[in-house]
Amino acid sequence: MILTPKITARLVVVGLLGVLLQLTFFSRVELFHVSPDVLPALVVCFGLLGGSLTGAVSGFAIGFLLDCLLIQPIGGASLVLIAVGYAAGTFRERFEIHSRLVVPLMCAVFTLLAELGFGGVEAMFGIDTDVSVLVVRDMLIKSLFAFFLGWAIYIGMRRLVRPALVDEATVRRTRRPTVLGA
Amino acid sequence: MYRKQVRRRRAVLALLIVGSFALLTLTYGQGSNGLQRGVTAVFAPVASVLDRALKPARDLINWVDETFDARGKNNKLEEELQVARKQAVGGKAALAENKELSALLKLDKSAAIPEGTEPVTGRVIALSPTVWFSDVTIDVGSGDGVKLSDPVVNGDGLIGRVTAVTGSTSKVMLLSDHSSKVSVRIVPAGVQGIVKASVGEPERLVLGFLNSDKNIHKGESVVTAGWHGEGIESRFPPNIPVGEVTKATLIEQEAQERSIVRPYADLRNLNTVQVLTGGNP
Repeated sequence: MILTPKITARLVVVGLLGVLLQLTFFSRVELFHVSPDVLPALVVCFGLLGGSLTGAVSGFAIGFLLDCLLIQPIGGASLVLIAVGYAAGTFRERFEIHSRLVVPLMCAVFTLLAELGFGGVEAMFGIDTDVSVLVVRDMLIKSLFAFFLGWAIYIGMRRLVRPALVDEATVRRTRRPTVLGA
Repeated sequence: MYRKQVRRRRAVLALLIVGSFALLTLTYGQGSNGLQRGVTAVFAPVASVLDRALKPARDLINWVDETFDARGKNNKLEEELQVARKQAVGGKAALAENKELSALLKLDKSAAIPEGTEPVTGRVIALSPTVWFSDVTIDVGSGDGVKLSDPVVNGDGLIGRVTAVTGSTSKVMLLSDHSSKVSVRIVPAGVQGIVKASVGEPERLVLGFLNSDKNIHKGESVVTAGWHGEGIESRFPPNIPVGEVTKATLIEQEAQERSIVRPYADLRNLNTVQVLTGGNP
């Protein structure tokens, strides 16, 4: 992705909107007694579209904003989301995405890993009570939500940053003569 | 050229990770800091507007979830209704006793707001997205008289306490948070204990006894005891309703010195809450 000031501004707006929507909407709706967590999926999309550096920076920024708005120790969410963004971006840099299922699957897997990561950060500071096995069920359902929501987020974001995508520009260039010929 | 890019990427990654650890170390254990106060001051009004604007959509999705849930519960409720009908005769006799006990323990609605405290009504504007935290952010803060450790209730009972305050928002740690501990008393048994969360199950709290010479029974009420001690930072005024004992087998009580409590308040679905201000020194 070619990061122009205009594209960067769009990404910032997407990140801000994502965090605000998560806190005011997604965290407060329930399906099967579980609220969707779209932030890991959003960071995965940043990584897949922008590469490892964009993924890591967006993970840090989104985690930072989340911690600030929830008035909790700053850095915990960032640590987890940096890892998610960097890993997703590295995947994009090393492998071609041939199947349409790759993106939603990655969103689901990384959401599961992120939830485990959040648990790890909490465990680092001590969990002084019972942990129900239902936590596992909740994490799996969150991953399932991320599968579907991640797909939608990726399509939306791809459309938003389309002018900056290198592969999209290549496709447009190759198609142009055909259009003129018609 | 490529190697230079890779080195740069790794350097930025290392910087971000080190930065996160540094921030975590600096801010852990603090209620709120200037940075958070600034960020919430900017975004809290936006979150509040979004919260109101998105309420119809939220209600729609939650309605779908509740409808599915209700269908599943229908058969169970019918069975419970039959049992309840049989118990209704005995219930009439218990009603008189119940009134007496309620008056004695001041568990009526007005007593949920202890004397000397001023309730400040707030709305939930943000909720933690992960399964590991049970915090909500509400739209009242120090500007409205809210202080750290103030108890927070809703129409059903205790929901948690204030753990961080900014000018216009507060963070409320719910009873279902893994670090929440509340000193409680079971009525009418009088047994004292500590209620802790069970991570992942907001409808299930674990009650650990302090003295186990008396037995408690299913259906008994749990109210705040009003004391605090080592490891229990809560300073809840006494007699705020907390929940109801849902499982109290003799084996669990005697072997593990614990039982299970269901909170009166629906901790998954909070909208309007009251912070009881002025009670803490």
